[in-house]
Amino acid sequence: MNKRAIVSITFVVLLIIVAISFSSYQSNLLEMHDKTKYLEKIADKTASLLINLENGSPQLGSDVAPITIVEFGDYQCEACYYWFHNTRDTLIDNYIKTEKAKLVFVDLAFLGNDSPKAAQASYCAEDQGKYWEYHTILYTFQDGPPDSGWADRDRLNSFAFSLDMNMDEFNECMDSSKYAKRVNANEKEAIKQGATRTPTFILISSDGTTKKIDGAQPYSVFAAMIEAML
Amino acid sequence: MFIPLSILSEFLFIEPFVIFHVIEDRIVSFVLIASISLMSAIVIPMNIYRIRTLQKSMTKISGSVLGSIIGASAGICSCGPIGFSIISTFGTVAGTATAFLTNYEIPLRLVSLGLLCLVYYTTIRSISVECKIQ
Repeated sequence: MNKRAIVSITFVVLLIIVAISFSSYQSNLLEMHDKTKYLEKIADKTASLLINLENGSPQLGSDVAPITIVEFGDYQCEACYYWFHNTRDTLIDNYIKTEKAKLVFVDLAFLGNDSPKAAQASYCAEDQGKYWEYHTILYTFQDGPPDSGWADRDRLNSFAFSLDMNMDEFNECMDSSKYAKRVNANEKEAIKQGATRTPTFILISSDGTTKKIDGAQPYSVFAAMIEAML
Repeated sequence: MFIPLSILSEFLFIEPFVIFHVIEDRIVSFVLIASISLMSAIVIPMNIYRIRTLQKSMTKISGSVLGSIIGASAGICSCGPIGFSIISTFGTVAGTATAFLTNYEIPLRLVSLGLLCLVYYTTIRSISVECKIQ
């Protein structure tokens, strides 16, 4: 087979993959659009009530904060890592500590086999009152691409150990897959809310207005959106 | 090419505001995107001209298109909408493939850039020989 044929075949295969992915993306969007229309018709509730956060993380911030920031993320996602290290701290200092906003993390664990396991481990840590510490340690030690071993069972155990958690309790929680359904429910909720990437954020104001931010956008975008909603 | 690549690699966001954002950790990646876009913009039109004007073979343009495709596909972030669609559609195998593209982003982009530079050099040489007035 000559070079031209190889290049042509490669090009055609790539085109097919892109076309299938694009059509799947479009059909997902259409499906979501229909769902949104349906929800708009039947719901006279506020938009915040349409986002089910009961399976998400414990709330970070005050109950009285008027804005709720919902983050849909994956512990193996590189963009989530960049957002965590470049934007989150400033957002916490300026809006969460000042009781203007609160943060809830909802898992969209799609990137590999270790993603749902890491998400389950975070809820096992929640049982011992260390959800946000475990969340932080996962994003601090993210190292390498999905399923490269940085979030395998041994590492998840070592993270728990380093947080002085009760290892028997943690192991029992992980072995029984106690939170597998919770993680799965979060993933479904994320897709229902139109998240097609990680991280995706939905900002909910006290009157139920919602704004969506796609991707690991800089602090200035969050600040402008929150200020406009306050 | 620069704008789509910047969007795919999450340097450029168009919603809710148009904002360009390059963090320190990803400067190398950004410079490589800019270089690949620039080289593609030079090499592909140069080869189209060569093929149309001099009726030459398509070997070099294949190289430049291949170089551009490698450079572009290396930027597909597995967390992004394309990565999400591919993984949702094709499952674990696609996850491994996108993870490979993410993990080897910089080497793949360097290979792409090298290929484009090689095509540029050979195209310049062939044009100067083929267009020489006897």
